[in-house]
Amino acid sequence: MTDEAQKPSIITSSLDFLVNWGRTNSLWPFPYGTACCAIEFMSTEVGRYDLSRIGSEYVRFTPRQSDVLLVAGTITYKQAPILKRIYEQMAEPRWVIAMGACACSGGFYDCYCTVPGIDHIIPVDVYIGGCPSRPEAFFDAMFDLQKKIKDESYMKQRAGRVRDQLEMIKAKTAEAKAAAKDFAQEKVELAKEFVSEKEQELVKKAQFWKE
Amino acid sequence: MDFKELMEKFGGKLDAQAKWDDCVVVSREYLHNVVAFLKDDPSCKMDMLVDIAGVDYLTYPNHEGPRFAISYAFKSLKHPGLRLRLKVLVSESDLKVPTISDLYANANWYEREVFDQFGIVFTGHPDLRRLLNHVEFVGHPLRKDYPAQKRQWLSTNDYLLPELEKRLEALGYWIVKRSKEVETKDNEFLEGSVKE
Amino acid sequence: MIVRDSNGETLDLMPLNVGPSHPATHGCLRFMAAMDGETIVASVEEIGYLHRGFEKMVERGTWQQVVPYTDRLNYCSAIMNNIAFCRAVESMFGVELPERCKVLRVIVNELSRINDHFVCVAAAFQDLGGTTPFMYAFNPREEIMCIWEKLTGARLTNSYARIGGLSRDAYDGFEQDVLAALDSTEKALKDLHACLDRNRIFLDRTVGIGKISAEKAISYGWTGPCLRACGVAADLRKDEPYYDYETYDWEVVVGTQGDCNDRLQVRLAEIEESVKIVRQALKRLTPGPVDIVDPRIRVPAHKLAYQDMEGLIGRFKSVYEGVRVPEGEFYSGSECANGELGFTIVSDGSGHPYRIKVRPPCLTQFAAFHELVEGGQLADSMAVLSGLNIIAGELDR
Repeated sequence: MTDEAQKPSIITSSLDFLVNWGRTNSLWPFPYGTACCAIEFMSTEVGRYDLSRIGSEYVRFTPRQSDVLLVAGTITYKQAPILKRIYEQMAEPRWVIAMGACACSGGFYDCYCTVPGIDHIIPVDVYIGGCPSRPEAFFDAMFDLQKKIKDESYMKQRAGRVRDQLEMIKAKTAEAKAAAKDFAQEKVELAKEFVSEKEQELVKKAQFWKE
Repeated sequence: MDFKELMEKFGGKLDAQAKWDDCVVVSREYLHNVVAFLKDDPSCKMDMLVDIAGVDYLTYPNHEGPRFAISYAFKSLKHPGLRLRLKVLVSESDLKVPTISDLYANANWYEREVFDQFGIVFTGHPDLRRLLNHVEFVGHPLRKDYPAQKRQWLSTNDYLLPELEKRLEALGYWIVKRSKEVETKDNEFLEGSVKE
Repeated sequence: MIVRDSNGETLDLMPLNVGPSHPATHGCLRFMAAMDGETIVASVEEIGYLHRGFEKMVERGTWQQVVPYTDRLNYCSAIMNNIAFCRAVESMFGVELPERCKVLRVIVNELSRINDHFVCVAAAFQDLGGTTPFMYAFNPREEIMCIWEKLTGARLTNSYARIGGLSRDAYDGFEQDVLAALDSTEKALKDLHACLDRNRIFLDRTVGIGKISAEKAISYGWTGPCLRACGVAADLRKDEPYYDYETYDWEVVVGTQGDCNDRLQVRLAEIEESVKIVRQALKRLTPGPVDIVDPRIRVPAHKLAYQDMEGLIGRFKSVYEGVRVPEGEFYSGSECANGELGFTIVSDGSGHPYRIKVRPPCLTQFAAFHELVEGGQLADSMAVLSGLNIIAGELDR
């Protein structure tokens, strides 16, 4: 089954296309805006730049309903656990954009309190430079991300996941079998010991009575 | 106005470092009284505390005297344009200064910040915690001997429930039963991401 | 948690954490509230989520290298912070600026103030659930951003001011651009007032919410529009005038109630006053130099560095060693969009700042947050938060 799913066929490639088309054109961002870059993101949202042209105007402030985690601004050590937890709360598929120099590398805050790039905490798909990044750069990053999503194969990922699961099940079964075997062996040994102990006791008793 | 009365009454002296504004150095024993006097005296009426800034003179060239100083900036709304700074010198062996958070409400957070950054203890402060750095931070970053790039990771979130209980008690509530404690020490939280 | 109040009644309170990734807390504020149903009984705040070490970083560079860091304090009106810092250092030097520099600084100051107040009002509406005013407010803001791009080369973090002058003179056609931006500002103001003044939902959610008395606000050290909304006419531009602010014809806007609606209305009225000041300042804009001529304070122009030896040496020394600010300590406050932005500066006479402490206007306002929300509904706390206009960059530095 897994081998068949890996081969590109008409059904799977069209399904890939359909899924990617849907994902590409409705990327809902979660703006994790902390600093200056968040203000530029606000400019990206409104009139002149208008993020809704690429279907991403629907900003969700809950990690459970969004696809793209947009980290806009400096992340400090005090904030790092929160960012990590939010990333973990997001459902697959999820992508991360690091917006601005601070999110990419810590920027010019080379200091005791700033994380030198959010890739120390979470994986990042697209980096945007600039301090803060211009709205045009943000659009460019979104296009990059869309290209990246188009190259992804939903069926391949699914097949990979199924294969992983199968392997996991196999491994678990083998583990369980081994455990059961060990358990049985232990039991047998215990029984043998018990029998031998009883025998010895009987022997002792017999000797005692003889005496 | 000139601050002659202030100097006579409380033994303050003009700071030689302040060349562009008025600054009076007072000893910390008199600090609380001086501030109370400034706040109520009709000729100055310093009704707003503008800023509290700590200074570490460790690497200051040709500096003599105690290592730390705290500079309090006041201004008056009754007499627009009237400003005064007070300076208290704190030696490293005895890092204690009386609090003025009972006189000015915003001194609370300012003093917490100075405690956080310099480690100066304000005696009588109702809630002396770190303000800007996280709970697991060790050391005081704005001291001159703290390396600027010495990073310290935080493994968990700050926990605010005890402070909330304190605030409730201050408002006149009596806590009968605590809320169920949430496990804060989550060891797998940053596993794999801590890098030196 | 179960508590007993002073009357002996037992209450079952729920601790509720809000922030720091809550949409209305702008990523960096956190408060924990004890809730009785929908009512906040007690609240405690926590800050420091954007503590980027401004005060440690500036000790490592020269005096001129502080200017880009000040951009990122209140990033909604970056130029104002530059000017406030440069003003503090210039008064330590004791120099007088050329007339054109002063007028240009007044113009960019007031345009920044317009920008900042628009962001505050727009974000407040957004947090209360209105999207349209957000679009109205951002139109003139984008126009002003275009002026910044032409004038300084950057949209948001401009670094326009320099110690002893400005980074460059105004470009050709600056006056026309500013006038056009002012026109669209006035149009947007009209639209905003149409959305706001008689909007039943908006008024119900902001009038009488988050009230504070003037005495308490002063004790908390409030400054700027939030203090003026409580009815105290305190404005550093009038009280301790600089850049000839006292010679312009404008009024200090004062509120009456000290509630959330007043804070937003004061900001909108201040935009009108700023428009007035800019219009007058544009008339005073006469040709002349924008920098003072002193190679020890202001870096000599590029042209001079290529032409004669003195200019080259001046530029080299000024860039590598930094300007040498006279030894001493000084506190200087300027009226910024949120209130008094102060710098306590300690200089040891070298090219590097020994210590710079920022006095952020937001910190004092957020310190009083629990006084404003206790006894109100949870949804009101969002209105209060957006009315205070907390900018995390200067709150945590």
